[in-house]
Amino acid sequence: MIEISLTVNGKARRASLEPSMSLMDFLRATLGYKGVKFCCNTGECGACTILLNGKLVNSCVVLAADAAGASILTVEGLAQSGKLHPIQQAFVDAGAVQCGYCTPGFIMAAKHLLDVNPHPTAEEIREGISGNICRCTGYAKIIKAIRMAAQPSGGARP
Amino acid sequence: MEYFEPKSLREAVSLLERYGEGARVLAGGTDVLVDMRFKEEPPCLINLKRIPNLSYIRENDGNLLIGPLTTIREIETSALVRERFPVLWGASHQFASLQIRNTATIGGNLGRASPAGEMLAPLLVLEATLRAAFADGEKTIGLDSFFIGPGKSALGAHGLVSEIQVPRPPRESRGVYLKHAVRGAMDIAIVGVAIQLTPDSERRTVKDARIGLGAAAPTPIRARKAEALLRGKAFEDERIREVAKTAAGESKPITDHRGSAEYRTWIVEVLTRRGLNLAWEQTESIDD
Repeated sequence: MIEISLTVNGKARRASLEPSMSLMDFLRATLGYKGVKFCCNTGECGACTILLNGKLVNSCVVLAADAAGASILTVEGLAQSGKLHPIQQAFVDAGAVQCGYCTPGFIMAAKHLLDVNPHPTAEEIREGISGNICRCTGYAKIIKAIRMAAQPSGGARP
Repeated sequence: MEYFEPKSLREAVSLLERYGEGARVLAGGTDVLVDMRFKEEPPCLINLKRIPNLSYIRENDGNLLIGPLTTIREIETSALVRERFPVLWGASHQFASLQIRNTATIGGNLGRASPAGEMLAPLLVLEATLRAAFADGEKTIGLDSFFIGPGKSALGAHGLVSEIQVPRPPRESRGVYLKHAVRGAMDIAIVGVAIQLTPDSERRTVKDARIGLGAAAPTPIRARKAEALLRGKAFEDERIREVAKTAAGESKPITDHRGSAEYRTWIVEVLTRRGLNLAWEQTESIDD
């Protein structure tokens, strides 16, 4: 067992882990962040997507020990004082959530996209979420939600 | 599972020397963690990421030097790679997803030595050289002798890539990487084709042609017979069709869940033709 310290959603956390543990299992099982979804466990579906030191990663293929000293953002870190983040609100308003299982991963990908590219074209949105799979929605409403979330600050380009 | 975080390459290779086949080396982890979950936990895991100075993209006299722990994303966002080594950039850009690119490393892609490894056919076409560290010292290995079989490389059980050296392609050359997959970049390539063409000074003939094939043989390969058909000749439609057919003939693909051998052979021909045409078109705009 080894012990690591890290920051998750702004909070300092410290815990023990088995060296073989993935960051996904560490966040979910050890630290309790169930918003990080367990799905393919092979880095292909994006359901476990988080931000690690500002980089979008699939936590299932990151070694937990490699998050020592890191700053992690999960979907649980987006809402402030009970108010949904604009991206979360847009997903609700656009009807982009069906079963909801892929949603946290998509929201993290959308957050990262809009952080680096506040006014993405439709093509840029598609590329920005191309590491995430949804089996329910057919993606159209997800893309609409991201366009809506981009709007208040000036709008998505056509 | 024993777990080590060596602080130097020397420490890492001596661990490998000690544990041999029982050790798995961890760079990014996008392959190793999946193996750990779905195959088996190795007796020993050696995490290379605490070794300093292994992540860099540098230029030396026009040649490219890349550290093995450089992520695919770092390669994708490098203006130097995009402008001067477009065939390598193309592969980095079509490598899985952003999430994976932020984690996976070029050293890991080489070490895994999968015939479908995205960066490998491009590195073959660029005639890259590797520096590799072993317990008894460093070796220089040309990429054309690096791949031995599916998942097997000249590193064996004891070596580590310490640097990737890519000579600068001629100014007038142009390169493209085409990948055939169902789910765009995310899927492992059904077939990947890397092309680099150098026109003569009048752009009448093809001074040099390099064709690299991924996921089309037990290792990434160069289609040398096809290249020879084009080298020194005019770029003409009939000839290109012949070259593409020859490249397909040089491939030795397998049948698996991604595609049959026949399908792959056909795709090699199609992508080779497309890639040659695309690269040649690009040689039109030589304005360095």
